[in-house]
Amino acid sequence: MTEYFPPFLVYVIGAIVLPFLPNDGRRASLLLVVPLIGASMIWSMPEGMHGLMVLAGVEMNFLRVDKLSTIFGLVFSLAAFLSLLYAWHVRDTIQQVATLLYAGSAIGAVFAGDLGSLFIFWEGTAIASVFLIWARRTEGAYHTGMRYLIIQIASGVILLAGAVLFYRDTGSLAFEKMTLGSLGTWLIFLAFGIKCAFPLLHNWLQDSYPAATVTGTVILSSFTTKLAVYALARGFPGTEMLIYIGATMTLFPIFYAVIENDLRRVLAYSLNNQLGFMVVGIGIGTELSLNGTAAHAFAHILYKSLLFMSVGAVLFRTGTAKGSELGGLYRTMPLTMIFCVIGAASISAFPLFSGFVTKSLILSDAAHEGYYIVWGILLFASAGVFHHSGIKIPYFAFFAHDSGLRPKEAPKHMLWAMGITAFLCVAIGVYPEPLYALLPYEVEYVPYTTTHVITQLQLLFFSALAFTVLMRTGIYPPELKSVNLDFDWTYRKLFPAILRHAANFVSTVMAAGSHFIRRKRETVIRGLYQSHGPEGRMAKVWPTGSMVLWIAIILSATLIVNFF
Amino acid sequence: MARKAEDSTKDYPALGRKLLWLDNMKNVNRIVYGLYGLCAVLFLADFFYKKKTYVAIENFPGFYALYGFVMCAALVICARGMRIFLMRDEKYYAPKDVESEPFPESDMERETVHD
Repeated sequence: MTEYFPPFLVYVIGAIVLPFLPNDGRRASLLLVVPLIGASMIWSMPEGMHGLMVLAGVEMNFLRVDKLSTIFGLVFSLAAFLSLLYAWHVRDTIQQVATLLYAGSAIGAVFAGDLGSLFIFWEGTAIASVFLIWARRTEGAYHTGMRYLIIQIASGVILLAGAVLFYRDTGSLAFEKMTLGSLGTWLIFLAFGIKCAFPLLHNWLQDSYPAATVTGTVILSSFTTKLAVYALARGFPGTEMLIYIGATMTLFPIFYAVIENDLRRVLAYSLNNQLGFMVVGIGIGTELSLNGTAAHAFAHILYKSLLFMSVGAVLFRTGTAKGSELGGLYRTMPLTMIFCVIGAASISAFPLFSGFVTKSLILSDAAHEGYYIVWGILLFASAGVFHHSGIKIPYFAFFAHDSGLRPKEAPKHMLWAMGITAFLCVAIGVYPEPLYALLPYEVEYVPYTTTHVITQLQLLFFSALAFTVLMRTGIYPPELKSVNLDFDWTYRKLFPAILRHAANFVSTVMAAGSHFIRRKRETVIRGLYQSHGPEGRMAKVWPTGSMVLWIAIILSATLIVNFF
Repeated sequence: MARKAEDSTKDYPALGRKLLWLDNMKNVNRIVYGLYGLCAVLFLADFFYKKKTYVAIENFPGFYALYGFVMCAALVICARGMRIFLMRDEKYYAPKDVESEPFPESDMERETVHD
């Protein structure tokens, strides 16, 4: 069937073997070995279609290797390794198995050459990942997990429906570039859009990521959404609508991120914003912008993991990730703080950090291609990202007012995971060539020009200036214990309320209706009883005399009529 | 884990003790003045090199600086305004939400430097 061993199977075998090992360092070591083996396999596979097989008359392909799938496969392996190192202390078998199956499904999906196998892995990521939310084992996490699962499974079901229609139209299930038009392609697009957290389809992300365990959130942040970015880059490059969808995605989450209190949710909003940049890159669809999307996804997975790791370490030590409860932790968690700042500098695209050499590919191309308004929005979003992720996260967790908390520094394995990730963020920023070599197309881009460095520094430092001025003048909104209504309010409050009211209305109308009918029926029955009942007129026995009288009257009337 | 009366910095990690100079408001002010100075230098830098641009507006001196400042200030002020309509109590979605739940002790190692 296949001349190469599919990398996802390594994860599946790992997940099967894992529960039989003693639950200590040995099991944690196996968890680290699996992504390393997977990565080495991906690294050594030559380009081409390697996993062809025919299933029920339909040609399927589990192993399509090209530069686009390889770069995503490699960064997924790297993310799995770093997250599992961060989770070295976790002894919960459910989380261990779920992590392996989740990462394995995501890697399987990027190598899927047809929509059928893509669907299998697509649902695999949904089912495996929900256990990382349920692993928190609280009532709130259970409900959040259910909401997450319903939306993720729905995305898969829509993908399946789209694939079936696509097969009927074209006679092929091959997962190649598609053009929006038929219902099938629209459904596939929608399925990708749900997982990619398109505007109004995005709330599962901000709802679920802060609800997972400390390590679960780090793992969740890497795979699902970037798999969707990969799927869009593969299936719909150059679809102009994506430019506008992406620009909207970069824009609105930053407003929420400013007022959100839970720092893990702030990061979820900024994740949504970063996906927007990638989606714009896919929409523009040139070689430069698609390179930008792939490069930015690579860098993003690393710095976003790093930020989630650092906030996770704070949560691990203090029991909260809320801005209103934290502050002043730089005294006792200085290394975590430094790693957080490196992640923040990377997401903000400071020169010498990873975001600088990847995001600019997309921004430059938006300007080159004449999308000036979109370029303006992306520039605003870049400044906004620095504002809420670059400054807000480290500031409210580690500086700001002294919360009085004196937590111990994060455990060693977490520091190692954060340290390696931070190193990679800086390494990519300083020396981007190895990353550029992995990109799908030839790169002729020089990120470090005088104009680019100076203009970027101006943008960032003046954003910092705005933050400082607003903070010092007391205009900056304080962190408050609260929730902010987002679009999920519609399906968590509005629709249930409408449904409740509709149900009440219908039952009231039904009750009134049946009451009215009963009353009417009773009146009719009573009337009939009066006329036909034992006492009724119709039931009366008439005297013979009156009968004779009436006959005489009728006869006389007949005689008179006949006479005339 | 409230701040203990005997909160002694000797339990802090060495790096953390070095960073304690940030506790002094004077030093924080120094950083802020440094930022003001850096911003001034960056703004003026625009007049001393040939900008390579693609969009006409980029040629406006200090465009990136002004755009960064104005848009960020606008962002914060708008977001602050959004709170009026969007902010609700932490228990708004409870119990079907984790927001008002305590984080489970089983998933953390709550330790302080004094332990």
